[in-house]
Amino acid sequence: MMTARTHQIEVYDLSTWFGPKAVLKNITCHFSDNAVTAIMGPSGCGKSTFLRTINRLNDMIGNFRMKGKILLEGEDIYGPQANVYELRRKIGMVFQRPNPFPMSIRDNVKYGPRLHGVKDDNELDPIVEKSLKRAALWDEVKDGLDEPAPNLSGGQQQRLCIARALSVDPPVLLMDEPVSSLDPISAQKIENLIVELKKDYTIIMVTHNVQQAFRVSDQAAFLYLGELIEFDKTRRIAEAPADERTEAFITGRIG
Amino acid sequence: MQDAVGKFVLLVPAFAGSALIILILTFLWYEATPIFLAPQGGPSIVIQPIWDPNRDLYGIALFILGSFICTFLAIAMAVPLGIGAAVFLSEFCPPRIRTSLRMIVEMMAAIPSIVYGLWAYIVMVPWIKNSFAPAVQSNPLTAWMPWFQGSTNGLSVLAGGTILAIMLLPTVVAVSDDALRSVPSSYREASLALGATKTETAVKIVVSAAIPGIGAAIVLSLGRAVGETMAVLMVTGNSLQIPFTLLDPAYVMTSIITNQLGYAFVFPLWRSALFAVAFVLLMMSVSFTVIAKWFVKWGMKTRGLV
Repeated sequence: MMTARTHQIEVYDLSTWFGPKAVLKNITCHFSDNAVTAIMGPSGCGKSTFLRTINRLNDMIGNFRMKGKILLEGEDIYGPQANVYELRRKIGMVFQRPNPFPMSIRDNVKYGPRLHGVKDDNELDPIVEKSLKRAALWDEVKDGLDEPAPNLSGGQQQRLCIARALSVDPPVLLMDEPVSSLDPISAQKIENLIVELKKDYTIIMVTHNVQQAFRVSDQAAFLYLGELIEFDKTRRIAEAPADERTEAFITGRIG
Repeated sequence: MQDAVGKFVLLVPAFAGSALIILILTFLWYEATPIFLAPQGGPSIVIQPIWDPNRDLYGIALFILGSFICTFLAIAMAVPLGIGAAVFLSEFCPPRIRTSLRMIVEMMAAIPSIVYGLWAYIVMVPWIKNSFAPAVQSNPLTAWMPWFQGSTNGLSVLAGGTILAIMLLPTVVAVSDDALRSVPSSYREASLALGATKTETAVKIVVSAAIPGIGAAIVLSLGRAVGETMAVLMVTGNSLQIPFTLLDPAYVMTSIITNQLGYAFVFPLWRSALFAVAFVLLMMSVSFTVIAKWFVKWGMKTRGLV
């Protein structure tokens, strides 16, 4: 059943558990299209679980349970008709540690489109070039596309992972602390890239770095012990947090 | 100071280990020299097929061929089956079943080869003779196949290859399972997050990443297969002939040594020829090990893992 679509991703009353342990509690929010939403919060507050619930990556974990609704383009992603593989094609993900496959740069980018039925090299090669250009990596690797991907530097690997996620043209991009394992210069490059990408993609980024969230995001969510404490325009939260726990976090008193 | 003591104490076993290998190799070479130098022998014995010590004929090609065929059959059966089992164990099996299956696999590896041989001799050989051979030779789908021709008493390269395959299986499963499980789960997550199914992820990412380890497992079990003696000796028929079909008997390298060493002292060259067989065997195992190392290195390099 289609409902009137207001945002690409809407979350209603989401609660999750691992076994008996409640991780997220009654979260409701709408992620703006073509914007970066930062999910902030101290370690263990459920940020990553939230992100992985959106592309159903938690399904793999045996004792995971959830209640509530997540709508992607108006359709319930946990609904009975939902196709988890198609869902994950529409929601790309970039992980905390760069995890390119142990194969060539070219094959890393080709992997996704091939899964979804693009077999012809005449179609795949332009996808490789386009994706690497979008991820601002093309100029650095165009002469060595057949080199093994793990030989790249950490920052290049992470941009390759972004290119790999973009290769299947997802409208939504999830990023789980995408720069926290990188050096400052690589991190800066990727932050700039994220700002660039939001023109075309809805980006949801988990971070525990408040300054980074303020630099990069348009909207921000603050999660604390599984509850959504605050969700608003980043500038508003930065200038005047409504809740004292948010203030405590952004001023560094908890974290 | 303490380090020096530790270093010295550990140097002794380390040195003793490698010294032993070199000594064995030297000894084999020393014992095999006469046949390689004698006019009746020479290096060409490895390609001469006739073995008849009473007529001074010491060709060992038959044994090399027999070993190769049995080993090839064993690998051809054990590898696809073993890798399949390992992929199931590591990627699809529920954890509780996995533990018990792994235990059974490890127990299979510990069964003495004479037990496998006895079972094959009592169960498999008669089955090949009474059921398998009549069935494939009367079925029009398989009766024409050249490798199923000829009469058989069950003692055959097929029996040898199959029992070897059964014996190799636990090693292939265990080593491949370890190789698959050492593939970081971050690769699996990246693949799933792109919309791959679990099967696509297992085949295209996990197995591909584990190829160096799996390849090494195969090459190492090759070494085990050519060197295995007891079970093969009991079921291959030990007949001095070229096996043209799967149902023909054969004579493998390890069997000729075991069977004839006891009375080979009659002619010095006979004895020496048996050592030549052992020497070839050892060289084969060594080269399999070297190939395994080289393969792992190559695999890691093309995958950028070193």
